[in-house]
Amino acid sequence: MRLIDEGLQRLNSKIIRMANLSRETVELAVNAYLKNEKLTDKIFHNSETLRILQDEVSELAVELIARYQPVASDLRYIKSCMEIAYGFSRFGRYAYDIIQVLEVFGDSSSCDHTSIIKASEIVHKMIDLSIEAFINRDLEKSLLVEKMDDEVDNIYESYIANLVKEKYKDLKCAVSATLILRYLERIADHASYIAEAVLYIVKGERKPRK
Amino acid sequence: MDIILSVRNLNAWYGEKQVLFDVSIDIPRYHITAIIGPSGCGKTTFLRCLNRLHELGQGNKVKGEVYFYGRNFKGNIYDPNVDPTEIRKHMGMVFQKPNPFPMLSVYDNVAIGLKINGIKDKKKINEIVMNSLKKAYLLDEVQDSLNKSGASLSGGQQQRLCIARAIAYNPEILLMDEPTSALDPIATSKIEQLLVELKKEFTIIIVTHNMQQAARISDYTAFMYLGKLIEFAPTEELFETPKHELTEKYITGKFG
Repeated sequence: MRLIDEGLQRLNSKIIRMANLSRETVELAVNAYLKNEKLTDKIFHNSETLRILQDEVSELAVELIARYQPVASDLRYIKSCMEIAYGFSRFGRYAYDIIQVLEVFGDSSSCDHTSIIKASEIVHKMIDLSIEAFINRDLEKSLLVEKMDDEVDNIYESYIANLVKEKYKDLKCAVSATLILRYLERIADHASYIAEAVLYIVKGERKPRK
Repeated sequence: MDIILSVRNLNAWYGEKQVLFDVSIDIPRYHITAIIGPSGCGKTTFLRCLNRLHELGQGNKVKGEVYFYGRNFKGNIYDPNVDPTEIRKHMGMVFQKPNPFPMLSVYDNVAIGLKINGIKDKKKINEIVMNSLKKAYLLDEVQDSLNKSGASLSGGQQQRLCIARAIAYNPEILLMDEPTSALDPIATSKIEQLLVELKKEFTIIIVTHNMQQAARISDYTAFMYLGKLIEFAPTEELFETPKHELTEKYITGKFG
């Protein structure tokens, strides 16, 4: 085992901890919103933990660079961990934004949640797949994530288009659903970046950003 | 790309033992090309084939072509009618251990090559010596000790003196064989800065054991293994996304 390997393992376990916590937090936030559960404090706490973990990942990454001057796949992995950690901390932040919608607008159980449920199902799946793709360096799964991103974009865009076309009946429902869909759409983007990082780690290839 | 040296199917032997196998590579002009690889991979031998030094060893043999597109020479340096000493004038060489002539002064260490090559005009010699010392980032430090022995300088200064000596005759290519491996980090850093400056006027080919050094200063890097050229690419590419698995293993230390 090389000296750097111990550090890379520590980095990996931090990332996996972030992956699990961010997945759980997004799920928690969407469900809390749909079921009108007051989980703001817990989600805020998780989001803060993710932010702190992101800082720890950055510090460890910089330490590994300074100590071992990594190159090739080591370097690509460390760089990607910094990006991926940022992605996971964004998941936490958007989860908090989602629960804030409930705080501001109150109970929305009378609203039509079809689009939100549909988008959140895809987003949860994207998060799961991006994490699996990262852990197993699975390029096929990372490609799936990118395809699913378009589906979430479509749901968001068509919801907005419908709002404009058919005059909304309920302002609260329209605004809160727009916000939630927007946050889900952002989470989906970050899940795609995580999936893209897998391609970079494995093959050193970069996809042009959309 | 402007190529100064085009090496084609270069093979070399020490007696019966073949140490280079069909190496082909194009060296870009006015750039730094680093050659890396484990001990015994043939990188020093390769360097010594480029100025026809290798063949001087008893029983040594070279086969292949090295096309040199110089100012006053164009063609294969291994053509039978080419005089190797002429070729060596176009290629200055700096070795691992600083080797100034200890019996000569700092000044004469740089002037000696000019004098041997028949330059008699003292004013011209003086001009070239001073200019070479300046280009080697050494003049300020030795201004007051030009008459002292070359061996009286520190290791880093001695190596820069050797660089001044190598560039005095205005070669087109500088061949460097681990020029900083005997130096401390500060002296190393000065030489590295110097090389990056010198590539404006010279093409530099450097053999180094220090991969970080190759990464810091070179524009292109060649990885050699067991006498073969495995990969040759722009330095940032070779260190970030090497194409060959052997390169990846070597530079990340996963070898053997």
